[in-house]
Amino acid sequence: MVRLWVWLAVVMVILNSHSAVADNDGIALKKVDFDTTITARQRGAETVVGVCLMCHSLKYVKFGDLAGIGMSPEKIQSLLTDQQFADPLLSLTPLAVRKESFGTEPPDLSLMVVARKRGPQYIYTLLTSFYIDETGRTNNYLFPGVKMPDMLGYSLTAEGSAERAQVEAQIRDAVSFLMWAADPNADERREMGVYVIVYLIVLTILLYLMKRRAWRRVR
Amino acid sequence: MFKKTLGWIDERFPLTVIVKHELTEYPVPKNLTYWWSFGFLAIFILGVQLVSGIFLAMHYKPDALLAFDSIQHIMRNVNYGWLIRYLHSTGASAFFAVIFIHIARTLYYGSYRRPRELMWWTGLVLLLLMMTTAFMGYLLPWGQTSYWGAQVITSLFGTTPFYGEDIVRWLRGGYVVGDATLTRFFALHYLLPFIIIAGVVIHVVALHWVKGSNPSGITLTAGDNIPFHPYFTIKDLFGLGVFLIVFCSFVFFGPEFFIESANNIPADPLHTPQHIVPEWYFLPFYTILRSIPDALGGVIAMIMSLLVFAALPWLDRSSVPGGALYRPGYRILVYLFFIDVLVLGYVGTQPPEGVSMVVGRVATFVYFGLFLLLPIVSSGEDRRSRRAGLPSAAERLIREEQEELLRSQHNQRREGDKMPEKRKRSHLRGHK
Repeated sequence: MVRLWVWLAVVMVILNSHSAVADNDGIALKKVDFDTTITARQRGAETVVGVCLMCHSLKYVKFGDLAGIGMSPEKIQSLLTDQQFADPLLSLTPLAVRKESFGTEPPDLSLMVVARKRGPQYIYTLLTSFYIDETGRTNNYLFPGVKMPDMLGYSLTAEGSAERAQVEAQIRDAVSFLMWAADPNADERREMGVYVIVYLIVLTILLYLMKRRAWRRVR
Repeated sequence: MFKKTLGWIDERFPLTVIVKHELTEYPVPKNLTYWWSFGFLAIFILGVQLVSGIFLAMHYKPDALLAFDSIQHIMRNVNYGWLIRYLHSTGASAFFAVIFIHIARTLYYGSYRRPRELMWWTGLVLLLLMMTTAFMGYLLPWGQTSYWGAQVITSLFGTTPFYGEDIVRWLRGGYVVGDATLTRFFALHYLLPFIIIAGVVIHVVALHWVKGSNPSGITLTAGDNIPFHPYFTIKDLFGLGVFLIVFCSFVFFGPEFFIESANNIPADPLHTPQHIVPEWYFLPFYTILRSIPDALGGVIAMIMSLLVFAALPWLDRSSVPGGALYRPGYRILVYLFFIDVLVLGYVGTQPPEGVSMVVGRVATFVYFGLFLLLPIVSSGEDRRSRRAGLPSAAERLIREEQEELLRSQHNQRREGDKMPEKRKRSHLRGHK
């Protein structure tokens, strides 16, 4: 039994070193908790569709999929400009214009939270790292020289002000939505996982009892 | 009805004989620990990979323009596609974890020694096949890590003298990794598992011929063997239950753990990621590759780090039975080897500079050094045992086994494998 614990400890240390390695990149990311309720996701969806979609796309998410975060058809309808329910969340700005403005195509956001190490924290930190430098231009602490403008106006708000708190809340909601968008089945997966693990634990206990019973006969 | 059907089959196919020979009367040493369950677990996870892989192939598109999107199609639109994909991606890591433990057990208990050399060698070939399959499968999602990993690994073949460039171009089907590479990797990734199955069959046939090893390394007499079924079927099933709890925890609660974040960015031949770290199961070998200053030397060292295992049955010159249990010198070597592999693996996650480079080189030196030390240590043990006798526990066990053998009417375990009714009962208590 003691040996088992030692082995488990070794495994834990190895797993931890894996994630520790993955973490120490660039400046420290802000530690924030994200609200995973459907209301937060819905608010986030409005921000993403209203603001981010001007330049970015979420090509793997369709407007109709937003029903998955509890949006009513009327609500989804209100987000549409001239798209249909079956259309993906694509930027309406022509690609040529976006390429001309930024020199490159702004990345797709469908998988953004899993395409960066500690993605949710990364996006939150990126959007709350805008500042106005001495030349009067906006810049970014996490990503100096980033092409993306400070669309939510974080750099314009004063530290500790109510406006800043509001922008931060808006960014958190947008990240919550992006977390859903990257893996829409994650909730179902975790829910199913609980049943699977409980079932397996019961099964394994029964198998252990059967094993003990069978082996009782062995000297 | 059942008996009649079985009789009909038995007349034409040795079904009952096989079941008896391989299961209900197949003798297994009764002193096996749970470390001996990992071979069964490996076969189980091979099955999981095969089934989930076939279902993935029904929805996956091996085309450079469609591959990345088709993975997202599986994740979002295919019924339980996310489950199939996460089973497969987590299964790859689980397979290597199980196989590494299986190999570690073989090393620790000296199970590669006579008469199991062929099992050891077929196992090594299986490991190489498995690594090839995993490497090719890793290209299929067509993300950044997939692409650049394949680019780096195929370029290693460029160090071949004279024909390097031609070989690389032939492997990739072009000057860089591209659509041709993806389709051929897909074809081979689908083919190799079936070759692995054939290899497993050979591995298991060899096992059932020489019979399983046991912690003592001493061949036990019939009385100390018990039939595989029901004793080890139920023991392995319990082990499977424990394994599944760990495995499913990852599948359902942390499948992203095994998917490198850069691989969620579509492959971009024009943009090299900052540092490419291979999958965790390749890390020790990757560190050995990096630790040699010369490119060709690094590739040779990496290949040798695997092939050197084949020499173990010759390098181990001791006549003391088994592995680490009765051999303190060997035990130290084995533990040093395990620690060294973990160090190599950790160094592999670090950028190749400064301290980690030095540690990597030392660990590489130790890795090969331990293999070179083995003949010296084991012949030293041999001389010592001739002078001072075997460790008392081994001595006692061998004496007991010999007495048992003398008492036994059925003294040749390997012939027929039948355990006469009388003998079979003697180790059972209260069993009528």
